[in-house]
Amino acid sequence: MNMFVLGYYAFLIGLSCLAAYYNKRSAFLLLFSLTLASFVLGIVGGESALHAIAASAAILALAAGTSYAFREFLVMITPHETARELRTAPLTASFGMFVIFTYAIAGVFAPIIAPFGEGEVIAGAFAPADDTMLLGADQLGRDMFSRIIYGARNSVGLALIATMLAFIMGAAAGMLAATRGGWLDQFLGRFADVIMSVPSLIFSLLMLSIFGTNLAVIVIVVAVIYAPRVFRLTRAVAGNVVVMDYIEAAKLRGEGTWYLIRKEILPNSTAPLIAEFGLEFCFVFLLIAGLSFLGLGIQPPTADWGSMVRENATLISFGELTPLIPAAAIALLTVSVNFVVDWMLYRSSGLKG
Amino acid sequence: MGMLKDKDVLLKIRDLHIEGYSDEEWIEIVHGVDLTLHRGEVLGLIGESGAGKSTIGLAAMGFARDGCRISGGSVEFDGMELTTTPKSDLRALRGSRIAYVAQSAAASFNPAHKIIEQHIEAPLHYRIQKRVEAQEDAMALYERLRLPNPREIGFRYPHQVSGGQLQRAMTAMAMACRPDLIIFDEPTTALDVTTQIEVLAAIRDIVDQFNTAAIYITHDLAVVAQMADTIKVLLKGNEVEEAPTEQMLESPEDDYTKSLWAVRSFKREQKSRPTDGSPPVVSVQDVDAAYGETKVLEDVSFDIYPGMTVAVVGESGSGKSTTARCITGLLPPLKGKILFNGEEMPPRYQDRSWEQLRQVQMIYQMADTALNPKVRISDIIGRPAEFYGGLKGTELKSRVDELLDLIELDPKKFYNRYPPELSGGQKQRIGIARALAAEPQFIICDEVTSALDQLVAEGILRLLDKLQDELNLAYMFITHDLATVRSIADEVVVMQQGRVVEQGPKDAMFRPPHHPYTDLLLSSVPEMDPNWLTTLLEERGVDNIGEAAEV
Repeated sequence: MNMFVLGYYAFLIGLSCLAAYYNKRSAFLLLFSLTLASFVLGIVGGESALHAIAASAAILALAAGTSYAFREFLVMITPHETARELRTAPLTASFGMFVIFTYAIAGVFAPIIAPFGEGEVIAGAFAPADDTMLLGADQLGRDMFSRIIYGARNSVGLALIATMLAFIMGAAAGMLAATRGGWLDQFLGRFADVIMSVPSLIFSLLMLSIFGTNLAVIVIVVAVIYAPRVFRLTRAVAGNVVVMDYIEAAKLRGEGTWYLIRKEILPNSTAPLIAEFGLEFCFVFLLIAGLSFLGLGIQPPTADWGSMVRENATLISFGELTPLIPAAAIALLTVSVNFVVDWMLYRSSGLKG
Repeated sequence: MGMLKDKDVLLKIRDLHIEGYSDEEWIEIVHGVDLTLHRGEVLGLIGESGAGKSTIGLAAMGFARDGCRISGGSVEFDGMELTTTPKSDLRALRGSRIAYVAQSAAASFNPAHKIIEQHIEAPLHYRIQKRVEAQEDAMALYERLRLPNPREIGFRYPHQVSGGQLQRAMTAMAMACRPDLIIFDEPTTALDVTTQIEVLAAIRDIVDQFNTAAIYITHDLAVVAQMADTIKVLLKGNEVEEAPTEQMLESPEDDYTKSLWAVRSFKREQKSRPTDGSPPVVSVQDVDAAYGETKVLEDVSFDIYPGMTVAVVGESGSGKSTTARCITGLLPPLKGKILFNGEEMPPRYQDRSWEQLRQVQMIYQMADTALNPKVRISDIIGRPAEFYGGLKGTELKSRVDELLDLIELDPKKFYNRYPPELSGGQKQRIGIARALAAEPQFIICDEVTSALDQLVAEGILRLLDKLQDELNLAYMFITHDLATVRSIADEVVVMQQGRVVEQGPKDAMFRPPHHPYTDLLLSSVPEMDPNWLTTLLEERGVDNIGEAAEV
């Protein structure tokens, strides 16, 4: 029994009592069951288990606090309408926004933030972390931290461009199909089916082997793979809008297809499309990371999270966690985007209670 | 009603307050309403939309819909306080002792199960009856409600029976556990007049027979006059007045109630066709039309002269709206032609010139779907002026102001707003302004008042009439509401199953002798007389009402 263990239990029990006294049912249940679980864990795992629980609780609390502060910050600096929407955001969503914001800063200001260049060899292979190298060196002796910062720019930037291209192609085709209907709708629909029927990884590997692995090819191939999904969603959403009387009124006025799409349909389908954009971005990002891991994506020496995992993979066998850091960066971004998208989907689906 | 004793009180609501959640805060929508209902009594709740009728009806079951909460007062059902009863007990109460009949039976039945399966769900669940017993009972109820083939109809799926039959099946379902109280929430609003009669007769019959108490929610005064023993009038969550039906109809006390009663008073001079030999604005000649293989219009012909209102009436499915689609060019006719000022128009709207499109405008039934919710009012109204007239900048702005003035909305207040911020009546006015912005000669009004409250609807009718005088517009007025026809039509066209069965000037049409179908339509319109339904049923005989009537 040392001071830490005593303090740990005293703290939990004290909080439980407070929660019970102020009639906070759910808080009390959570705290007290944590106390009971800690008894068992303390007996089985000893002091280190309690340390782990305390640390993870602290991390959670820190993340929650950051998210809360970030949300309040956003509410204050945005105009009234947006602020009212933001106030409804759950903590998970504001956590997601905070992470995305951080990544954006890292990507935009990469050359200023990173202490070394992405291709600069400054130490021996797999040199351990020291004062100048926050995360140590990779297999060629380049600074890991700098490469991760640059990776934010390269991987995320590429995924963003590919997603946008997929959206422009898919959304335009989807709206056109919904507005025009008839054979154009059938043709575009079947064409989308054909693309979707080929497994995406095999399709991209094939295309990249044929056309070579430069950035433009990667962007176009990925965009073509994901455009049919966007097409389907847009067509469905726009299909619900075109049957409205105001579209009929506009058609009877003699308006052209382009006006219908731009002024009448698009404003009514933005919410689901933005949510879909977030989701698709995750998939595109993971696909590009996967391609890089296979060596077909972004080519060295450009820093990219996918290829960084592969290059440093040997280190795993020595019990080092370094190769997992870029993987964690990918995971964190994907989860964050999903948090934000969840909230947006919730709002646009009208599930507000 | 005075002899009802206190011990017969079934439902006692005292000082009921209900709040609704909108824009991140709770707003009170019902401000302290009292209600007492005795066993076997039928209470009519009337008021405009937003008056809190349905909310109070649901509160009588101890229920508040999502985003609402009962914030104060008491609801006592047969000695049990519903606001504090646990949810599980309330659930047991609903369905077995209190039942609810919703406005749209089609939306309330589960389309994936047979009608009788849904009917016997409650009796089985509460172990009131065994399966076979419950089915027998359901069939007996179907028979009582005069559904055709009572032994067989329950084994169909909801989409296989008509709307009126489904609404009666729903009433039967509400009776399944022989509840003490049924709440009818606008059960006939979505039905045609001829179908409405059947449902009204069925409901009244079954409520009488089992001595069930009922709350009948509606905005149609004539309907409530047939059904209720007592009428309570609501306005914006407050009670206006309550009195026995006859007394309420004869001598309403409050000004608001009087204005409700006086709504149907709007009437205008009937105009006759111009004699100077000018051609009709629109002439429909021998039009046949079909959706795919199904023929929906046959040999439809009528003329509409400048400055006149022609009302097209008939049940749903009679081809009224299809005729409008033919005139606008959305559905090219199979045969026949549409003349505009004596000139033939191309059948497809895509082939028509801008000038031809401009001359024919439409006002829709549902203002909600007729106005793009994401477009500013100024753009909605301004677009036709910009599109046809080529107006820009300040010219366009002053034209929009002028149009807003014309429809009696303040330009300063409405110029920059979006449709969801407006009330139903205001939206409908914007729809009218959009049609006027094209400066047409002819406007099709497709059930423009049927989704609106009576007071608001009357305002719209007056506005349309004023505009007709000022701008010499011709209207084709599609409606199933004969009261509207009485107030504004010059000529009437009666349609049934895609054919014109009778047409002529209004005064001649409302005077006997009629075509039998016109007669059926006319006599099916509920009147304010509380004995109207009884008399009508006696005249027609029980088996010969509504849809089943011989034409």
